[in-house]
Amino acid sequence: MSLGGYDVEVQRPGGLATEEMTLNMGPQHPSTHGVLRFIVKADGEVMREAIPDVGYLHRSIEKIAEKVGYHGFMPYTDRVDYVAAMPCNQGWAMVSEKLAGIEVPRRAEYCRVIACELNRIASHLLSVGSMGMDIGAYTPFTHALREREYINDLLEDLCGARLTFNYMRIGGVAWDLPPEWVPKAVAFLDRFEPLIDEYNALISYNKIYVERLANVAVITAEEAIDYNLVGPNLRGSGVKFDVRKDLPYSVYPEFEFDVPIGSGEVGTVGDCFDRYMVRINEMKESCRILRQALAGVPEGSVLAKVPRKFKPPAGDAYVRVESARGDMGWYCVSDGSEYPHRVKIRTGSFTATSIIDKVSRGLMLADLIAVVASFDLVAPEIDR
Amino acid sequence: MGYFRNIQETVATIFEGMSVTFSHFMRRPYTVQYPDRVPIRIQDTLPFRYRGILEVDLEICTGCLACERACPIDCIVIEAVKDQQTKAMVLNRFDIDIAKCMYCGLCSEPCPTGSIHHTSEFEGADYSLESMLRRFVKAPVVAYKPKKGPETDPDIAPILDRGMAYLNDFASAGGDE
Repeated sequence: MSLGGYDVEVQRPGGLATEEMTLNMGPQHPSTHGVLRFIVKADGEVMREAIPDVGYLHRSIEKIAEKVGYHGFMPYTDRVDYVAAMPCNQGWAMVSEKLAGIEVPRRAEYCRVIACELNRIASHLLSVGSMGMDIGAYTPFTHALREREYINDLLEDLCGARLTFNYMRIGGVAWDLPPEWVPKAVAFLDRFEPLIDEYNALISYNKIYVERLANVAVITAEEAIDYNLVGPNLRGSGVKFDVRKDLPYSVYPEFEFDVPIGSGEVGTVGDCFDRYMVRINEMKESCRILRQALAGVPEGSVLAKVPRKFKPPAGDAYVRVESARGDMGWYCVSDGSEYPHRVKIRTGSFTATSIIDKVSRGLMLADLIAVVASFDLVAPEIDR
Repeated sequence: MGYFRNIQETVATIFEGMSVTFSHFMRRPYTVQYPDRVPIRIQDTLPFRYRGILEVDLEICTGCLACERACPIDCIVIEAVKDQQTKAMVLNRFDIDIAKCMYCGLCSEPCPTGSIHHTSEFEGADYSLESMLRRFVKAPVVAYKPKKGPETDPDIAPILDRGMAYLNDFASAGGDE
């Protein structure tokens, strides 16, 4: 496919020459959430097609793993998806543990779940906040980021960094929960939960907002499965699939939570608004998980004994974690040496990019922003 | 009638949102003006575990090279040689390239004395890349040798105490409290 070589269709209704225009959206565009480029073929304001052109943020993270070894790769997993780095940490830790058959202490599993769920709320806050900003409402963004800041403070207390956590280690976590941290986290939840309703009052059911999102880019359940959508994008189409629930890992089976799905409350099931609303509801569910986890942190150690020269036996392993952007797969082949033979990361943003071309046909150009925002794309996660 | 209902809904929901916005006039602001109007230095408010710019206490560095081996991007360069006469390790060079460092904290974890550690300093902007290279060894120094009992040297003891307190914060492998 040559990206530049489109045939220009010339139509002459009433003798007036019109032609389709090929536009570049991005790579540097404030609403593409990173360096992501779309080649848009537009007929006036209506898109004929929008082809995502990925690869601008490729940092060969998978290749780096072959160079730095198992322990050294942990900080790099933060950079796979910098908005929700904890699930990436967990994915890498879990795949290494599966290779070597390491049992993780229960307290460490709880620490992981707490960190991941806090991070999920932070990621969804950024997503719903920037969704408002992308379609022209600036205030919700500041509200969402304000709450995210408190989560960042909590995570900073926990692991010393605000985005690139490097919190987990093979066999557990690097730091135990700090003293007085659990009451602080509970206090945050007490404050945060009513704010979700305030946020809904602020923007979610605003008529203009609803008009921009409802019935836009409808994806049916079959299409969503065909195109391999995962996470909130899949659940927005009404498919009840959550790795935490259906393929449980860590200590998630011990917690009680629901999997919110799109209901089409203001439009059709699977439109942009449903994907947005799934994220809002997921934040509530994350709060529920957090409350249960924070109340029941068991005593004990948080790190299993793992040799510094970590050499898992030859073989391969695949784990799935539910990242904020959905089912994230980690595949690692070990040849018995200190360095992984091959690492493959399967991310939700990449598959979501593939359906953009299909759903954007016939939409207005301005709706492409809403579509991209509703998929919650994070450009580094697409390219790795 | 859909036309008027539309108008009514639009006005009502906008006012609902605006009332949330207006209520924020009455609330205390969450933001502070950085860096001029902060009541205390931001560095002092950061948590103990904050991973800022790396620092090395050469007084308690044993020259074991554990940090150099742990660093995934090789931003730490250490030259330690054994003195043939005194049989002691001598550090000739201990460089950390702050421009390369990604503040992951993997180096401070295996350190036996807590010599290499993260500070709460984060303002590292400078005019040249060369000045980002922190050279900790000015003249060759003899590496620290851990004693059997508690440290007796009054100059080194507080530094070692700080180092060990830093290390104790890390989760210990399999250790039960």
